[in-house]
Amino acid sequence: MQMNNLDSLPKKKILSLFMTCGFPTLNQSKKIFNEMLSHQPDIIEFGLPFSDPMADGPIIQEANKLALRSKLSTQQSLDLIKYLSKSKNNTSFVIMCYLNTVRKFGLNKFIKNIKSIVDGIIIVDLPFEEEGEIKKSLSKNNIHLIKLISPMTDKKRSQKLLKDSKGFIYYISATGITGSNRLDYKEINKNVKSIKKICSVPVLVGFGIKSRKDVINITKKTKADGVIIGSALIQKYFDLKMDFNRYLKNLKKFIIEVKV
Amino acid sequence: MKTYKQPSTVGRFGEFGGMYVSETLMPLLLNLDKSYKKIQKDKKFKIELNDLFKNYVGRPSSLHHAKNLSKYINGPKVYLKRDELNHTGAHKINNCLGQILLAKKMGKTRIIAETGAGQHGVATATVCALFGLPCYIYMGSKDIERQKPNVFRMKLLGATIIPVESGSKSLKDAMNEALRDWIKNVRDTFYIIGSTAGPHPYPKMVRDFQSVIGKEAREQILKVEKKLPDYLIACVGGGSNAMGLFYPFLNDKNVKIIGVEAAGRGAKTEETAATMTSGTPGILHGSYSYVLQDNDGQIKEAHSISAGLDYPGVGPEHSYLKDIKRVKYFGVTDKEALKAFQTCSKLEGIIPALEPSHALAYLIKAFKNKHKNKVVILNMCGRGDKDLFTAAKAIGFDADE
Repeated sequence: MQMNNLDSLPKKKILSLFMTCGFPTLNQSKKIFNEMLSHQPDIIEFGLPFSDPMADGPIIQEANKLALRSKLSTQQSLDLIKYLSKSKNNTSFVIMCYLNTVRKFGLNKFIKNIKSIVDGIIIVDLPFEEEGEIKKSLSKNNIHLIKLISPMTDKKRSQKLLKDSKGFIYYISATGITGSNRLDYKEINKNVKSIKKICSVPVLVGFGIKSRKDVINITKKTKADGVIIGSALIQKYFDLKMDFNRYLKNLKKFIIEVKV
Repeated sequence: MKTYKQPSTVGRFGEFGGMYVSETLMPLLLNLDKSYKKIQKDKKFKIELNDLFKNYVGRPSSLHHAKNLSKYINGPKVYLKRDELNHTGAHKINNCLGQILLAKKMGKTRIIAETGAGQHGVATATVCALFGLPCYIYMGSKDIERQKPNVFRMKLLGATIIPVESGSKSLKDAMNEALRDWIKNVRDTFYIIGSTAGPHPYPKMVRDFQSVIGKEAREQILKVEKKLPDYLIACVGGGSNAMGLFYPFLNDKNVKIIGVEAAGRGAKTEETAATMTSGTPGILHGSYSYVLQDNDGQIKEAHSISAGLDYPGVGPEHSYLKDIKRVKYFGVTDKEALKAFQTCSKLEGIIPALEPSHALAYLIKAFKNKHKNKVVILNMCGRGDKDLFTAAKAIGFDADE
């Protein structure tokens, strides 16, 4: 069986960058991902746009809306990921999506499209209780189902949830939706430590990480193995009044900054 | 027929329902489920709720024999279950009282809700005023425009209204925003969902609180007719008034049950809200059920003249009842509903809300000169005061044609 990049993540300071596929247009999206790939982050998370992204904040929702404006299909998103995989190297590819997208596309067809290309998948609205068949099919094809843990997940639940987990653990830093602004390092550290007692895969902190300073703080003040940055990457596009060329340059600068 | 026993302990109605939410909400829903199971066995809770039903809402609502309407249809004997006489003017208050009592028991101090037509928003704002809890109502800006009287009522009741500008700016988007609020404020907030939609345990809980409608109707009809009804008819958006009426009759196999959806400009057009007639199974708002979606699973915008039915999903129990063929579902257009709205007003002296006008339209259409000697109960789940402006505008438009 082919290697899964997620199995050889570095031990520390893991950087995962999230971006919505097809945002703001399919062509521009290609350029964004190429830029991201050129920095060889440890992980790139590909968000598949969904009309009702209820677990995402307003920024990613807006990105989804822009991507869907030109009727971007699931197949087009998967083709984009396939195209980018040619320059993948050691970067892990992870898909982040909602269950309805996978269901409607067909689980087997979906897996066929991403097999040997994608290393992991986060299905935001697929809780542990409902994952059964999907996890099995993914695992057969060497694709890791990445688990989310929230500050509301108690110890007993974490133990059930994290049993045989692979890839990494996505710890949701604020009790909030992606892009919210509170970071409580003490709480993060406490929860990351208790996750690490249960399982041995890296724990990445996501939701609400916006700057180099945030990244350094997470590294210094917590036992987390890395960070996930999403909304902050997309926010810049709107800050720059949707001037794409300026955005692309700004994105490059930002990625260099957060690589600590 | 086997005794009806749905949902399963994990919230499945057959294959429908479930809990499809992110891990930020999962622990909350499990906790809510646990608390709900506990209060179901709590006698004090029952007494408190029944007292509020009787003295605050004015239950039981009457079962009115609509003689003029029956004569006009020249078919069955029509009874209207008059939940529009409830305090706040619709059935929504039944569920809100149940949920706010639960919220109090769970020690929650902040209430949020979504609303389409504004009836659920008004009912939530009402119970929040009664229990002195801060209330935040998410409402699509399109609905704020077409339901102004209810917006003013909610404000009078002390609620804060948060306009929702995303998506189609109606019920679906209001629910997305309310869910986001809940994720952000998980610790102190209770989300009062107004319909039998959303993740488990909401579809079950809302149905249970609303089933007071059917329980009363059953007793009332047995008293006057000395038999069960031959037909039940109710409108279905998310499906709470319908589930409330239907549920206590599901084991009575001789009672035929009909759900009426809003077909907007026609069930085969793009401008429809007839989820079960035009939709396919999918996942929306944490539950697996029929939804209006495209080939990639993107949720479509719904359309109905009735803000309360303008929803691209439907409660999972309705999807199950459709698939096991226990309930039959039909669509009624905006135009047909508007006509029934006027007919009922003129004939019975009851101005119905646009939502039950859909059920009325189906009754008038499908039962005309048919089913004589049969008995029908139709759920008059809301009154039309809130719709006067919308209806006037629409009827004026029709007159010009």
